Amino acid sequence: MTLGEIWSYEFMRYAVLSAAILGPLCALLGVFVTLRGMAFFSDALAHSAVSGIAIGFLVEERFGLHLDPMLVVLAFSLLLAGTMVWLSRNGTLAPDTVIAFSFTGSVAFGVIVISMLGNYRLLDGILFGSIYANGPQDIVRQAGLALVAGGFLITQMRSYTLLTLNPEMAHVQLIRSALLHYAFALLIAATVVICLKMLGALLLSALIVVPAAAAKLVSGNFRTLLLVSLGIGLLAPLAGVWGSIRFNLPSGPAIVISNIAILLACYLLRPLLNRLAFR
Amino acid sequence: MMSAWADPLGVEAESPSILAELVGIGVRYGSQWVLRNINLTLRSGDRIALIGPNGAGKTTLLKALLGMVPAAEGQIRWAHPKPRIGYVPQRLQFDPHFPISVEEFLAVSAPGPARWFGGVPRSKSRAIASVLERVEAVDLVGKKLGTLSGGELQRILIAAALLQQPQLMILDEPASNIDQRGSQALQALLWDLHKEYGLTLVFVSHDLHWVGRLADRVACLDTTLCGLGSPDEVLSDHYLEKTYGDSFMPKLGGLAGERNPL
Repeated sequence: MTLGEIWSYEFMRYAVLSAAILGPLCALLGVFVTLRGMAFFSDALAHSAVSGIAIGFLVEERFGLHLDPMLVVLAFSLLLAGTMVWLSRNGTLAPDTVIAFSFTGSVAFGVIVISMLGNYRLLDGILFGSIYANGPQDIVRQAGLALVAGGFLITQMRSYTLLTLNPEMAHVQLIRSALLHYAFALLIAATVVICLKMLGALLLSALIVVPAAAAKLVSGNFRTLLLVSLGIGLLAPLAGVWGSIRFNLPSGPAIVISNIAILLACYLLRPLLNRLAFR
Repeated sequence: MMSAWADPLGVEAESPSILAELVGIGVRYGSQWVLRNINLTLRSGDRIALIGPNGAGKTTLLKALLGMVPAAEGQIRWAHPKPRIGYVPQRLQFDPHFPISVEEFLAVSAPGPARWFGGVPRSKSRAIASVLERVEAVDLVGKKLGTLSGGELQRILIAAALLQQPQLMILDEPASNIDQRGSQALQALLWDLHKEYGLTLVFVSHDLHWVGRLADRVACLDTTLCGLGSPDEVLSDHYLEKTYGDSFMPKLGGLAGERNPL
């Protein structure tokens, strides 16, 4: 199938747009997620979305109240992200412990609700997603989030970097650490929810973590890291979409595999690239 | 004694001004008191060393000075305007493989916006070049932060603190991760900065040779302030035995006589 043919189908156009919007956003977020050691946190939030979606369906089924499923998941994820941050800042438990029980708990709860509804087919969509399910409304939402989240990250980059590397110095400069920490957690939650349709709960964190990880292998400074991450974030999902159409593969796994292939290529090319331009 | 504040005519011009007064500071984590009843005056140009055993509250006192932990009792009275503070951490909490260059790290540390995609802004890059020259680390500018040696990193951390244009420099165990030669070079650098800018230094150190050479006052901490005075006084056998116990004694032969060759 040629590129022109791909573009001629509406659902494929939306898939390409969605990949081009969300890929770079997740990659930019991923630079800070990996810097701040929050890969597990973002993965856990993605998994917990099972609960949010299940709750949305439960409310509709039992109370006949139709809520926008995405808003229900968003509310649930924001609440969960805030709670996890609060518990790890104010409790006696280590952050990864808090994350582990919060997300397994939410997945368990979600699966119980889905079994009560007797709708296991729902689970397939939640876990693996499909980029071809995007409609025009989704694209508008995704673009909106990309603008807000991307703008916030770009303006707060210095604060987040200093906060991670030298928190005392950040404090001296009146950078509000608690506020930024919560804001970052909520940003991850919102991004995860918006990306759910594209990759599903099980695979989503690859989109966030892998581009930054691959870029880290071949970058000698932060600027290169950012640019290479954004590049991979754009390229990998598009390649995944193309691969999924060309070889008739499920879209989510195809996107993840193309990300991993780029990671592998960066690993293998590292000695060569290090010798050339990046140092 | 007259304080500099009570002297509007500047008759006592040589008497150094007070930067901060710690009055009966106490800090606790939960029900556990980490610091109690700390009274200490910081004057401009002081070189104060904090010594004491592990868990004595040295780092907590630094954090209280930075305003990162609240005082449960007492207060810190700062001069007006509050002096600018540069902080030098013991180490950086980061993955050494994370790609950030020395110049980018300094651009992050300097107050004011950083332009990531277009590189370091010119105004910042001039300031960075000048502090790097000051700490004699110009050749490190393009290096990856994670590849620096302990001594090199310490210089970069001092450069980052200098970018705050500090009047008060707070250092947490500056010599703990570096070898003997690097440690002496670092002492010399701090001494020069003190001389050149009248920089006030407050530092924690376990290395009593460092303390003896660089400090003009030593505060010995063990939850409370168990000694405060000149290095000769505080680094005496009596005080050290009281603070560290007997086991520490053999290491200290003739230390007090050795001070300040810089």
